[in-house]
Amino acid sequence: MKKSILKVTLLFSILCSCQSEIKTSEKEKYLRWVGDIEQNDQIDETAFKVCNGDDKILQYFNLGNGPIYAGEKSKVLNTFKSKYKPISGKKENGLIRIRFIVNCEGKAGRFRVVQSDYDYQEKEFDDEIVSQLLNITKGIENWEVLKQNEVPIDYYMYLIFKITDGQLTEILP
Amino acid sequence: MKYLNFLILLFAFSNVFAQPNCEAYKYYGDTLKYEACKKAMEISGHYQFSKKYQTILDESIEIDPTFDYAYWAKSIAYLKSGDFVSWKKLIDKAVELKPKNHLGYRGWCRYQFFRDYKGAIKDFEKLDSLVGYDIGQSQNGTYHLNIAKGLCYKAIGEKEKAVQIIEKQIKLNEKENFIGSYDYLHLGVLYLELGNFEKAIELFKKQSKDNELAENQYYLALAYKNLNKKTEYKSCLEKAKELYIGQSRMFDFYSNPMDKVYLENIENEIKTAYNNGHR
Repeated sequence: MKKSILKVTLLFSILCSCQSEIKTSEKEKYLRWVGDIEQNDQIDETAFKVCNGDDKILQYFNLGNGPIYAGEKSKVLNTFKSKYKPISGKKENGLIRIRFIVNCEGKAGRFRVVQSDYDYQEKEFDDEIVSQLLNITKGIENWEVLKQNEVPIDYYMYLIFKITDGQLTEILP
Repeated sequence: MKYLNFLILLFAFSNVFAQPNCEAYKYYGDTLKYEACKKAMEISGHYQFSKKYQTILDESIEIDPTFDYAYWAKSIAYLKSGDFVSWKKLIDKAVELKPKNHLGYRGWCRYQFFRDYKGAIKDFEKLDSLVGYDIGQSQNGTYHLNIAKGLCYKAIGEKEKAVQIIEKQIKLNEKENFIGSYDYLHLGVLYLELGNFEKAIELFKKQSKDNELAENQYYLALAYKNLNKKTEYKSCLEKAKELYIGQSRMFDFYSNPMDKVYLENIENEIKTAYNNGHR
């Protein structure tokens, strides 16, 4: 009896310690800000640099001016309209988000992708769709240079693509 | 209008409207939720995206995993960074725990950030079926949620239904003297798209009186163009350009509103007017 109580207690304490370890690591998962993108030399261009340090990268909306595109959003829309080739026969549906950093010179880097179906469940789109969108996004040479108190800043920007039956139907924001 | 603009600004940068009253939980004897609430209130002064803000809310959830506010507050940074997968998991939890409090918000975010028209309609209609009161305004204060619902119906091709919904809500808004910044414009564009140009012009004129915008003059020009009123067509386009350059245009802090036009659209239309000898 004593032995079994001991075993149960031991098992319980192991479980508890595992749980607290999970909780601790969950707490540690946060970087400075939600969604921060750290440089990964294996996938990111090493030539891309942020100007003011990673701890000073803002979000595109932090300056209160809404999403701003160099040459306005219509230019981005036209770029994708002319370059994106729908994949015939692929009935792919959902959302693809490409998020990246725009530095003080209006250059973009550290691209990251999130994909889901229209019920927001994570999924993987056909690689031909994702790589096209990624390459077109990477091919945009100039993004708007945002300034705070006349000083150009680094900021996070993203594009969300709505894909219906393999066709690009909307680009946000 | 000035009052409305002030409200919009206030809505845009504040969470104050959704703050829970912790003392109420204590009063009703729910000490666990009271503790979770007190913990969650420690986020005050911390940025929604920050490690500290998120960690405090995790601790609040640890105290009481049924405290809806903490999930809602956590979800905001994921929403604003475009991480729809993480956002949806968190906001769904808040909706599951307190549907009446969060359905309208979730529906609005589906529309504003992800143009998830069908999902937004579902949320707005579900909320409507659950409550006996007005379903309220969008989080940023720009629209009554019924106007947003109408825009969603328009986007999925149900334009007649959209007109009915928006028209009905505008009448109610007029009674309250609380017209949304773009209400008349959206309804005017709907009529324009349906080919009722006189009605569209009537609405654009109302929009001009309430809140003049480059978009309004642009669509007004298109209505005149369809009626072959060349002088008005041209002068409205010129006014649209002037307003656009003067920053009197549709705006949202996070996205681009429906029916927004860009300088390129206006200039292309001006070129069309030139080429067709309208000048």
